[in-house]
Amino acid sequence: MSNLIDRRAPENTTPFVTGLADAVLREIAELLDTLIETGETGIIDLHSLPMTDADRDMLKEGLGEGEVRVDLDVAGPSRIEETGTAGVWWVRHEGADGRIAAELIEVTRIPEILLSHPDDIREGRTRLREHLDEAGETGTEELAE
Amino acid sequence: MTKDRTLGEHMSRRGISRRAFGKYCAYLASTMALSPKMAPAMAQGLAAARRQAVIWLSFQECTGCTESFTRSYSPTLEDLIFDFISLDYHHTLQAASGEAAELAREQSMEENKGKYIVVVDGSVPTKDGGVYSMIAGHTNVDILASTIENAFAVVAVGTCAAFGGLPYAKPNPTGAVAISELVGNKPLINIPGCPPVPEAMTGTIAHILAFGSLPELDDKHRPLAFFGESIHDRCYRRSFYERGLFAKSFDDEGARKGWCLYEVGCKGPIAYNTCATTKWNGGTSFPIQSGHTCFACGSPNFWDQGGFYKSLPSRTSSIGTVAGATAAAGVALGAGAALIAANRKKQYSKET
Amino acid sequence: MDLLSFARGPALQFAIGVFCFGVTWRLAILLFTPQARDLTPARKGALPSPIAGGREVFRRMWPEIHPTGSNMFTTINGYVFHLGLAVIVFGFAPHIQLIKSIFGTAWPSLPNFVIHIAGGVTIASLIAALVKRLTSPVLRLISTLDDYISWAVTIAPLITGYMLVGRLIQPYNTALAVHILSFVVLLIWLPFGKLMHAFIVFISRARTGAYLNHRGAQL
Repeated sequence: MSNLIDRRAPENTTPFVTGLADAVLREIAELLDTLIETGETGIIDLHSLPMTDADRDMLKEGLGEGEVRVDLDVAGPSRIEETGTAGVWWVRHEGADGRIAAELIEVTRIPEILLSHPDDIREGRTRLREHLDEAGETGTEELAE
Repeated sequence: MTKDRTLGEHMSRRGISRRAFGKYCAYLASTMALSPKMAPAMAQGLAAARRQAVIWLSFQECTGCTESFTRSYSPTLEDLIFDFISLDYHHTLQAASGEAAELAREQSMEENKGKYIVVVDGSVPTKDGGVYSMIAGHTNVDILASTIENAFAVVAVGTCAAFGGLPYAKPNPTGAVAISELVGNKPLINIPGCPPVPEAMTGTIAHILAFGSLPELDDKHRPLAFFGESIHDRCYRRSFYERGLFAKSFDDEGARKGWCLYEVGCKGPIAYNTCATTKWNGGTSFPIQSGHTCFACGSPNFWDQGGFYKSLPSRTSSIGTVAGATAAAGVALGAGAALIAANRKKQYSKET
Repeated sequence: MDLLSFARGPALQFAIGVFCFGVTWRLAILLFTPQARDLTPARKGALPSPIAGGREVFRRMWPEIHPTGSNMFTTINGYVFHLGLAVIVFGFAPHIQLIKSIFGTAWPSLPNFVIHIAGGVTIASLIAALVKRLTSPVLRLISTLDDYISWAVTIAPLITGYMLVGRLIQPYNTALAVHILSFVVLLIWLPFGKLMHAFIVFISRARTGAYLNHRGAQL
């Protein structure tokens, strides 16, 4: 029966360039203007744009390759790269199974997710203090012996 | 877990940082087509929220919606929702049974008065006093009425709960009705589908948690973020429709080439759902991508729309009999009138 | 029952009933009513009546412009919207599907852009026809309510169809229902107004041809 099933992959329906890459690049340029003039950051959600693979390659090419590459391990991997255009970051969040959950272009000095959150810092300090206190107690006990 | 701890505190105890909230909300904003700039505020809202009490009522249903809701791959992003909610009552998933289970429901209702969310899957039978589906000696109608009385909102998941679904299909022997018929003025969200896309369910609940309010809904109470566009409008095969390239059967040249399935019965144009973009099984595929038609499982009366494999414009009721009978009547009446006229004329010419 | 189910179900069924009854009723009256026999002998050289009638049907299909060009607009515009309607009704994939579900036969469809162009041209042409009717003193004088109703029920499915494919009414279900309902109105009106010419046009032309031939008119 298996010969009844056509196993050829469906024809690639989107091998073409739609011109979206160009539009996104222009939008990025405008967001950079805003960042320089007012300091306000900008984000573009790439997931919401019907970009083809060719569009994506064009966008990557247009932005170039940068110096910073950060891998996060937060509920699945994330990769955050600064592109060759300073201030333009390519943010890719994945679920643990490797599929893209969100893909963003952030126009900012540093993407917010990289900054430690004040609550996390407080939590970290509390834990460190607790640890030190415990260590301190055991330390005095040792001395006493 | 203590109920008054925020989600942020709860998660950080488990060694999960605020970055997870940030990432989850970036993902959520993207799936819900919200501005990505809203993600940080959502993350803030979510971290400050309390764990949401959820009471899940199952009526005339097949548990497919629960299967879809719990469909998980690994401890990953989407599953964070299960840390955000406290599922206090759910037939299939809870450990307790019998009296203890009902007690858990009543306890949660008491403790979270005015704040808990009631999720319903399945339709409610109303015929013959509602005897066709009962739990712990009570009819579904009564359970629903008493449970939603102090609820913050009602979420009807699945087409059965949202629009009646299969139990409601002709001839509807149990007098099944959609949840919307029974909730009165309670805030209601419908998340139809057979089953609904898991992300539509989790995303909607996460939205309520993060913003403390219901997402934007359409006239059928469906969240616009997931049900705002038709499958046809977002279908990757749309260009074939526009070019007039159609599969004529499921094994012809057109089907192999991935042409539009409109003529073999695809209901994409009337199906408002998120399958074409969010897809299924972790973004793997959706029916049309797998070569099958969409049969608009999230639409009202999808079961009674004249056949899954009949194209959308096809007639839904028999026309032949009506056409034949009326045509015969037309001929008879017309010919009769003509003959009477002829007779009269004959008589007239005789008389003169 | 939602609007679409109503439109596709009982409304369409009722309209088809009225349509079939109306058309057969009018045709039966026309064909069975006894006619006064023409007892005059045919003129010399007259063709047999069926041939003369058939010839007239075809002869009148060929557009004929007066030397003065006075009928230029009505002739060309008439052809434009009749052909446009034919392209839309018989060339658009969803329409072919409807026909297939009723008669069981189908044929290849035209690409949508062709239908879009035909739709735009046909609507423009029908509007032009109305403007002509309203501005020409003669046409205005001989126009009856029937003419305006027939015009309205013809353009309505075109406009609702355009709104449907152009997504001007949301959601799609409502748009589709409105489109079908506009067609329902057309079906109901057709047998009882001047749109009945769709069935009578060739009968009347053949009859005129046979009659004139009998009387020896040079055509």
